[in-house]
Amino acid sequence: MGTRKVRNKSHYLSSRGRRSLILALCCLFYPATLAVAQDGLGPDYADILQGFSDPTRWLTYSGDYSGRRHSPLTQINTENVASLRPVWTFQTGTTTRGRGFETTPLVDDGVLYVTGSNNYAWAIDARTGRRFWQYRRNLPDDLTYGASAPVNRGFGMLGNRLFMVTLDAHLLAFDRRNGDILWDVELADYRIGYAATAAPLVIDGKVIIGISGGEYATRGFIDAYDPESGERLWRFNTIPGPGEPGSETWPDDPEILAKGGGGTWMNGSFDPELNLIYWGVGNPNPDYYGDSRPGDNLYSNSLVALDADSGELRWHYQFTPHDLNDWDSNHMPVLADLEWQGQPRKVVMVGNRNGFFYVLDRVTGEFLLGKPFTATSWAREIGADGRPIVLNDGSKGCVPDPWGSTNFMPPSYYPELGLFYLTARETCATYVPEEPTLVPGQASFGGVVFIDSEQGSGALRALDVHTGELRWEFTYPSPTFGGVMTTAAGLVFAGDHEGNFIAFDAVTGENLWHYQTGSRIWGAGAMTHLLDGRQYVLIPSGTTLTAFALPELKRH
Amino acid sequence: MSNVTSDKRSWSKLISLVSLCVVLLSTTATAQQTNPLAADPRAARAGAVIFRAQCATCHGADAKGISSIDAPDLTLIWTQTGVSEERVFSRIQDGVPGSIMPAHDFPDTEIWMLVSYLRSVAVAGSTREFTGDAVNGGRLFANFCSECHRAGGNGGSLGPNLERITQRRSQEALRSSIREPSSIISQGYKPIALRTEGAGEVTGIIKSEDAFSIQILDSNQRLRGFAKFELISSSRDIPSLMPNFTEQQLSAQRLDDILSFLNQQR
Repeated sequence: MGTRKVRNKSHYLSSRGRRSLILALCCLFYPATLAVAQDGLGPDYADILQGFSDPTRWLTYSGDYSGRRHSPLTQINTENVASLRPVWTFQTGTTTRGRGFETTPLVDDGVLYVTGSNNYAWAIDARTGRRFWQYRRNLPDDLTYGASAPVNRGFGMLGNRLFMVTLDAHLLAFDRRNGDILWDVELADYRIGYAATAAPLVIDGKVIIGISGGEYATRGFIDAYDPESGERLWRFNTIPGPGEPGSETWPDDPEILAKGGGGTWMNGSFDPELNLIYWGVGNPNPDYYGDSRPGDNLYSNSLVALDADSGELRWHYQFTPHDLNDWDSNHMPVLADLEWQGQPRKVVMVGNRNGFFYVLDRVTGEFLLGKPFTATSWAREIGADGRPIVLNDGSKGCVPDPWGSTNFMPPSYYPELGLFYLTARETCATYVPEEPTLVPGQASFGGVVFIDSEQGSGALRALDVHTGELRWEFTYPSPTFGGVMTTAAGLVFAGDHEGNFIAFDAVTGENLWHYQTGSRIWGAGAMTHLLDGRQYVLIPSGTTLTAFALPELKRH
Repeated sequence: MSNVTSDKRSWSKLISLVSLCVVLLSTTATAQQTNPLAADPRAARAGAVIFRAQCATCHGADAKGISSIDAPDLTLIWTQTGVSEERVFSRIQDGVPGSIMPAHDFPDTEIWMLVSYLRSVAVAGSTREFTGDAVNGGRLFANFCSECHRAGGNGGSLGPNLERITQRRSQEALRSSIREPSSIISQGYKPIALRTEGAGEVTGIIKSEDAFSIQILDSNQRLRGFAKFELISSSRDIPSLMPNFTEQQLSAQRLDDILSFLNQQR
């Protein structure tokens, strides 16, 4: 297998020129990883740690632990992307109307591992789009949150095991060769409002997962499980218990803390050197009604940095204290090493649902930058104390809607350009809070929201990470939920609410190519990999997963 | 995340399933067949509270739906053929299979309260008596309206279909739309004037668009799609394609005649 790959590359080399030469040379530096791919054992932690160094693989949600979704592949470039065309389409046969096909496929040794809506999952031949196996979970008919958003964002992978969370709040380990379930553990009781949708994060000896259900009388958490046994290794509760640090930001009432919300339904990033996991926390419960929970309500709407060994909180930063707008901070935290005002800084960047782009020191959590990237009238600046100066909590009309100025759709960071690309949503909503009754198993939004649907649009925006300034934008006709991926060839791939999968020049924002997929691209970012010397780009949309590549090269 | 939604197509599917449902209802309905709270004015108010807590996230605080997530406008459901309170009850209880609209394990009384609430926010339609001459109205409709609108089984398709329109809109609203059609233009009928090299000047109504293309029904009632890069110019800031019918062009009596004709097309 390894030798065949190399031979194919030499054909490829003779026909594609200098750019390909660089790529082929890059691959030659990683013979060890290619050798691992053929031993049948699957990727280990060291392989995931190497991230994009083997471009035939995409082993974790963002491609690597940094959350950048920035691939080094350059075969598809600004010159030739206009001839990108679909190679195959996979039909899932399952859908979530009103939401999307939110997964990021993983790929290893020519096989794609894909999760779908309603807890379907597949192993798919990456060359042909044909499936090896399909899994469908028999779900109970009394799902709570899981019934309202029956989505899934992807597998985690380690060795020959795949890990997936379920709408009835379980974590499953699969044998990736046949789709058999190796173990199945309950994360929480789905009947009171829990569900799980995020792609697990696999690190050394641990599978890290998050939980959904902040619209219900639940208490969020982040857990670590043993990949071998499914045994729980640690749990971090996103809402503190009575007397614990952070509980002073809540009423002195164990009942309220136990139902405080704080879901963790988007996966996080990982810094192996600092041994810290970065993970976003969602809204406090109830969503819009805050009178029953005076205080900042930690650690809702925060980014938390957890020690990977113990799950202990190292630091936190709260984006939206005492949230009244359902602006969960469930975003992919993006890690980068920047020159910051003359000093090298390890930072974490977040494009937040509240409309601000943030840069924080990821060692200490120190606030470095907060700048609005939409026309939000909720706040226009962050004070010196790192807290937003709130002008309109939503009761006075026309602040971003509950889906926010952006959402969990992954952004992308292009290190060489220093640009952060995200999907922005311009919306106008008025919030009317009402005191809810908290009933286990029933959603409790705590009010209603009036959305002016005439005033809505979307945009792909490129932000300078040092200033948060807008470098360029491309506007969409409606508020959009598509994610973003960049490649080192100077390309940005994004999707919109009208179903277009689009390529842009990363520097200028010029639109270079688009393809109408037939259904809105919602919650998913593209992924890319190299197979038989050919670069593929994949995007989920509606009920389909489509693979794109340049027209095939002539082979001997 | 709080985006829970439903699908407007499920309601139209509902209509096509009505004959089937007549059979199903007799076997699946666990509740009584009529709203026991129909005469109780408090039921709609109680239903509104439940609606805001349980349904408004998708269907909007005013029950008018949220188009961006395909959540249907529930104020219009009663104008659809075959929709009854019993059907709405079972829709809430059973959900819509294959969509994101879930089943609800509410007590029957609470579901009936929701039904009462949905009744209370139903589009009013015309309640006042129609006093015009419907026969003359039919002739006038054929002369002035049928090129673009459909009623009584005949007419064009550029403007909204007016079959059963008096069930959905009041006489005042209909009069206003005839006298000043540009004051409120519904989604799907917004006008555009554009120009391309190949097609020249084209006016029409916008049916759909994305970042790269626009789909219109032109003033000759021909469906046409254009790539946005083809457009030499385009303007959306133009009046409705429907002309204003002033008193001189259409007397109050003649307008009443047309409304009476429309009211007969139920």
